[in-house]
Amino acid sequence: MPSTLVCASDAPAMNTADPLLEVRDLKVHFFTRDGVVRAVDGVDYSVNRAETLGIVGESGSGKTVSSLAMLRLVPPPARTMGGQVLFEGEDLLAHTPKQMAALRGRRIAMIFQNPATSLNPIYSVGAQLSEILMWHEKASRRQAEERVVELLGLVGISDPGARLRQFPHELSGGMKQRVGIARALMCNPSLVLADEPTTALDVTIQAQILELLADLQARFRMSMVLVTHDMGVVARMATRITVMYAGRVCETADAGTIFSAPQHPYTRALLDSMPRIDQSYSGSARKTLPTIAGRPPNLLNPPPGCRFHDRCPEAMPECRKMMPVETTIAPGHSVSCLRRGSTGVAA
Amino acid sequence: MGTARYITRRLIFAVCLIWGVSVILFAMINAIGNPIEILLAERPGITDEIIESVTKYYGLDGSVTDRYFTWLWAIVRLDFGTSIIYNLPVSEMLVIYGMETLKIQIPGIVIALFVSVMISVLAATRQYSKVDFGVIAGAMVGHSLPGFLLGIILILIFSYWLGILPSYGAYSTRNPVMGSEVIDGLWHMVLPVSMLVFFNTATLTLLLRSSLVDVLRQDFITAARASGLPERRVVFGHALRNAFIPVLTYLGILFGLMLGTAPVTETVFTWPGLGALYIMAIQQLDYPLIMGATMIITVMLVTATLLTDIAYVVIDPRIRLG
Repeated sequence: MPSTLVCASDAPAMNTADPLLEVRDLKVHFFTRDGVVRAVDGVDYSVNRAETLGIVGESGSGKTVSSLAMLRLVPPPARTMGGQVLFEGEDLLAHTPKQMAALRGRRIAMIFQNPATSLNPIYSVGAQLSEILMWHEKASRRQAEERVVELLGLVGISDPGARLRQFPHELSGGMKQRVGIARALMCNPSLVLADEPTTALDVTIQAQILELLADLQARFRMSMVLVTHDMGVVARMATRITVMYAGRVCETADAGTIFSAPQHPYTRALLDSMPRIDQSYSGSARKTLPTIAGRPPNLLNPPPGCRFHDRCPEAMPECRKMMPVETTIAPGHSVSCLRRGSTGVAA
Repeated sequence: MGTARYITRRLIFAVCLIWGVSVILFAMINAIGNPIEILLAERPGITDEIIESVTKYYGLDGSVTDRYFTWLWAIVRLDFGTSIIYNLPVSEMLVIYGMETLKIQIPGIVIALFVSVMISVLAATRQYSKVDFGVIAGAMVGHSLPGFLLGIILILIFSYWLGILPSYGAYSTRNPVMGSEVIDGLWHMVLPVSMLVFFNTATLTLLLRSSLVDVLRQDFITAARASGLPERRVVFGHALRNAFIPVLTYLGILFGLMLGTAPVTETVFTWPGLGALYIMAIQQLDYPLIMGATMIITVMLVTATLLTDIAYVVIDPRIRLG
């Protein structure tokens, strides 16, 4: 990704918009032999209609698990332990398995990180895509295949009629990811969860795929949750950004604010540790790229109080004792930090 | 390379393989020595002249190569000669006894396949549950139990104690069960088929369950679920077909060695099949029968391997034909 941070939208976030998806106090725990790992521990965020919410965080911050939890697809030994996932007003966590299956792929679809492993190797592209439509909309094979051809064309696959008969191993990585995107769009979902959709791709292909996603999102006025660890990707794609750390949300704001006026010390540290194109890291005037001291906490035994306190340059004694509560500090901008005026609860 | 060319190549290879086995088989049988001498020697009233004339009668006085090609030409025409013990055409015997073997072996494999698919799905979709551990333990025990032991236990329970199932043979000599020959035949099949089903199920379940556990962890399974496909379709359509690929080889061997592994079952249940016949032919040095049965077992195994190779191409598009 280019390192220049050009924000996709500089317009202020519309707080009055009705949210399509609201995640409230979501908790997903892994029950391992060594104990309970609180991978997602009380996470809140919301996605408005036709906007892209970028969820950023390092590996293990719970961003992928929380998006799988929305579809109720967390793999064992993980279990969703509480919270609400309100999608168009319905709590998905209260749905029956049958209701969930009817919703997946039709109203909420997902794009996966690794295109090489997320397509079934023994079915042709046409077979695995048309199957979705045949199942959800009781379409005939011919109708479904027509729609697949149309979508493959839409995601920029040349000669889609011929690709229909091809198998995943006959396609390049970028092509496979385009098929993955087409699969997500089969039933015109109102929400697409994209889990690191470009991480497994070559840099040149990454840019193409992001462009495609942005284009499709605008064209179909879909909402999108873009999970990534790449600040460049969210800068380019997201309307609003949620920063996660160790299973909790640090800060949520519109994209412009996150990059121009980040409040949470972790957001600031994260942005500081990105290489800048206008900064030389070699030669006589070189600077060292700043890093965040320490390591992400072990969620088997998370630190008391604020999860970030032992790495935080601004930590004060209370941070060790009190868990900050997400607090709105400006319209559309919320932060969980005692230093920024969040109230704390004893932890 | 096209599928037709691939199959043709495999076919030519299969024919070469069978021919190779025929050479080795003939060489080994030849190494035992003149069968007439072995069969007739040390018997009262047998003179060298008699041995010589009988040897000549059977054409056993020619050179090794002459005799090999005479035999090869004969077996190509499916003429395996006449059994020394039974004085019947070997080809006819192979068909009659072979059918009796297939009658218990084919249901033994087919039923086991269905049962192991059901059990594997049950266990793999509940990985590390009590059901799963129970299945693993049961399959391990079944897989490592000596073959004859279960047969004897089955006879003990169902024939000796309960007296409801016959302990030996394929038919009743008199008074067929319920007065029907068909029901009588099926009734006799129950125990040997159960034994085969048990062992085949154990091994197939071990293989299929672990393969299925691996596949169910794959991204494309989560992706299929995220597309809203019903769980039944995800497991049976997407996971099982992938999980089946490594099991295919074992299934091929199972079918191929159907006749070769028959002796144990057929000895325990005194089943009049090819396995029992083969053992007896070896014990009594019935040369034409030994050679005929060996060639049939070879052809079965090679054919099953060929069909396995073709099945791979059908089930897995990633296999490059070459």
